[in-house]
Amino acid sequence: MRIIPSRQYSPESIAVLERRHHGLYDRITGMGIHEIVIETPDHIANMADLDVRQIQHVIRAYAHRFRDLEKNSSLANILVYKNHGPTISHRHIQHTCSHILATPVRPRRVKEKLQEAQKYFEAKKRCLYCDVILQEREDGKRLVLETQHFIAVTPFAARFLFEVWILPKDHHCDFAEGIQDREDDLAGILKGILQKLKEGLDDPAYNLIVQTAPYRRKGDDYKWETLEKDYHWHIEIIPRLTQVAGFEKGTGFYICGIPPEDTAEYLREEETP
Amino acid sequence: MTELRRDLIMGQWVIVHTQDSWAPERYERESRHRERLSTCQFCPGKEFFTPPEIDAIRPEGSAANAPGWRVRVVPNKFPALRIEGNLDERQEGVYTFFNGIGAHEVLIETPVHDKNLAEFTDEEIAHVISKYQSRFTDLRKDKRFKYIVLFRNYGESAGATVGHPHSQIIALPMVPKYVLQELQGAQKYYEEKGRCVYCDILAQEYSDQERIITENEHFIVFCPFAPRYPFECWIFPKKHNADFSAIDDKERYALGRILKDVLSRMKACLNDPPYNYYCHVSPINSKGEDHEPPWCHGGKLDVSHCFHWHIEIIPKLTRTTGFERGTGFYMVRTDPRMAAGYLRAVSSPNSS
Repeated sequence: MRIIPSRQYSPESIAVLERRHHGLYDRITGMGIHEIVIETPDHIANMADLDVRQIQHVIRAYAHRFRDLEKNSSLANILVYKNHGPTISHRHIQHTCSHILATPVRPRRVKEKLQEAQKYFEAKKRCLYCDVILQEREDGKRLVLETQHFIAVTPFAARFLFEVWILPKDHHCDFAEGIQDREDDLAGILKGILQKLKEGLDDPAYNLIVQTAPYRRKGDDYKWETLEKDYHWHIEIIPRLTQVAGFEKGTGFYICGIPPEDTAEYLREEETP
Repeated sequence: MTELRRDLIMGQWVIVHTQDSWAPERYERESRHRERLSTCQFCPGKEFFTPPEIDAIRPEGSAANAPGWRVRVVPNKFPALRIEGNLDERQEGVYTFFNGIGAHEVLIETPVHDKNLAEFTDEEIAHVISKYQSRFTDLRKDKRFKYIVLFRNYGESAGATVGHPHSQIIALPMVPKYVLQELQGAQKYYEEKGRCVYCDILAQEYSDQERIITENEHFIVFCPFAPRYPFECWIFPKKHNADFSAIDDKERYALGRILKDVLSRMKACLNDPPYNYYCHVSPINSKGEDHEPPWCHGGKLDVSHCFHWHIEIIPKLTRTTGFERGTGFYMVRTDPRMAAGYLRAVSSPNSS
């Protein structure tokens, strides 16, 4: 396994972070840090085909980069994500890799997730995700896999067909800390889900995103007081089976053609080696 | 060289490549929809395949659900939402859900199966616009609906499932999230500065000039400063106007012309790309009823002083939106200044 800086961007793109304005508009020169995790020396295309030990190494590498990049105080957020299948920027690379993108700003959806969790906590004094996990384990309708420390479910308001979330049963807002001593278990459930998607849906293109607490910096615009209690890290896996059309792009409103209860059942029954 | 740019209204950041910006040729073309004519259910003579029509333009006074129409509006055969019933809010543990109430209509824009919207005559495209407007006005009467989305998918990879030229109209029982954030952003700007953010944006675009593609007496089209997609274009009314249904005859005509103009520029510049466009309008019935929960009318927003209705056009040039789907973070390989330059350089049928 190897981690390298992305060659897509020139060094000045990632080094300089300077806030400027242009009339009404705000801009920051540069974008932050972009690294590629080459997950294996073997030419394997899908993370689903790595062995559990290797996935465990990859997960440890994510956690390591989380902590290391935190030292750079100009960075406010870190994203770990995977694009499996053809994409615009890596259309010829078929060697399984992950991306690490650390930026001085927080992406919109990361902010929204934090805000929703905080709102729920303010109203109920409980973690939204802990409540979801409790209900999903009781219901079982949307449960795909369960291990000692994790569950994998299709979310109740899935935006995409066969969308799957992996949630840790233990409450923790931060991925890097939350997975300590749980790496093997996470690697196992992750491989299980990726294999089910690969076998059951004919090796679809997919995206994987680690949703975790951003770097907490003093003096930025977010209220951090309850974050450790209100947020719960998780992984989202989104197969790309349908096209996003004008309605979704224009409204942020998603039409999901199959109920998540049915996709969960299908994935549950998909047997993997 | 890259930079992060903040969308003034949504507050969202995007990554824009300001150097080594991709020219149109760098993008891979995806195949467009090619459907056999014989199986098309939107062609004249096949009217019985669609649900009975809601509205049509029939200049020679032909019978409903028969040939002789220019534009036809029918309910979607496979609707995402159904028209009958009430929301009936229910709770299941932590989750809330509702009946899928709404309207889902298809506007068949021409009887000619393979006519490109960019090649419609001024009169034909004005017919389409006038039907957008009349469906909007009609659906607004249903107090259950809080928002109407007018949109068009062109090409298979942009989500079109039928090749025959058509747009769609969806009436929703709530203001969708993306629109709500936009309206709240505009309202916040107004509260801080006492001005309409869209009027300010237009003023800056005029003074910068570099992102404007073209304009006519009533409308302007430009590439936004912080786009979500390469070659994204916005059509704005020049005059402050939050209400799409209030446009008059002249404006309708001018809108049709500028829409056609920008679509034909895209067609020439980007090799007839698949695309989506949609219209962002003000919420309807936004005063709300007492029994309605706040999420459906968006907190009784009044945006007449701080909003412009507008159209956003997004050519489908990149293969994935997966990263964007998960994070709401967008990476754009073409600087909007360059994109506007490419689109400006194309001669269009309307330019004299």
